[in-house]
Amino acid sequence: MEKFYLAATNNTPEVDFDFPQRRLSLKGESYPESVAAFYGDILTKTNAFLDTLDQEKIDVSIQLLYFNSSSTKMLFSFFEMLYQAAEAGNAVRLDWYHDVDDETILEFGLELAEDFPAIEFHAHAVE
Amino acid sequence: MTEHDTPIAPPCFPGLAEDLIFFYAGYFSQNIINAIGDAVRLRMEQSEASSSVRRKIFSTFIEMAQNIVHYSSDALTPPDQATLEMRAGSVMVTHDDGRFYILCANPVDAEFAEQLKPLLGPLRVMTTEQIKNAYRQTLRSSDGSDNSKGSGLGFLTIAKDSSAPLEYGFTPAAHGMLMFTLKATI
Repeated sequence: MEKFYLAATNNTPEVDFDFPQRRLSLKGESYPESVAAFYGDILTKTNAFLDTLDQEKIDVSIQLLYFNSSSTKMLFSFFEMLYQAAEAGNAVRLDWYHDVDDETILEFGLELAEDFPAIEFHAHAVE
Repeated sequence: MTEHDTPIAPPCFPGLAEDLIFFYAGYFSQNIINAIGDAVRLRMEQSEASSSVRRKIFSTFIEMAQNIVHYSSDALTPPDQATLEMRAGSVMVTHDDGRFYILCANPVDAEFAEQLKPLLGPLRVMTTEQIKNAYRQTLRSSDGSDNSKGSGLGFLTIAKDSSAPLEYGFTPAAHGMLMFTLKATI
């Protein structure tokens, strides 16, 4: 699969999904008017990509400063997909960046780690 | 005493009223939210609020403003249009005695008001822990509504950040509508 890249906007993150290198990165803010319109394509492509993998290593980097409630729902679906890929025998590493005093985003990351134990979770506090 | 010394009724104008951080009334679109969201952020950066409080205020503001774009009954765009919507309402951020209040208002029809009440009512009597649990459950429920319209996750997000129970009301408004108001405390 080819790389999938979207530049950041005011209310959507930079999407840098380097499928050939097995590196997926989201960076910025997420509060689009329609999460279905923004995340639909991203989730479809991710699902198709994960289906092609067998015993591989995938690195996921999430550096989001803010995401609204409907984006949270989409992100949860995204991590569910990664979890299934991990359960299927792939090694999924998630690097979760949060502002040092942003307990909301850290908490969400810790919940993901708890819900999806097959994903190797690393939290990083950013000053 | 000249007429210049006559106190005038304070307009809702940030910078003149000390307790008023931000006020916007009118039509909301995503583009307008982007712009006034920047203003709210900059305004908060100049307050003494901690970064945690600032983030909660911004999050509550965005949830409320996007609710207006999606649900206000006063729409400039056709009801079936799902993107580039533009609808009317108001959002206000005030500061008093160490607390911040975020209020919003928009008209809704009676039928939609009845859909909102069962989402909002329980939040007023739930403990912080119960709200967190309800948030976790709603996030994990696959109710088929990926667009999240009406799932209540937005209200739970606001309630999670609020340090006092959410206050809300429905009062009769023009054209047979009800004015929906919501208030969060941070």
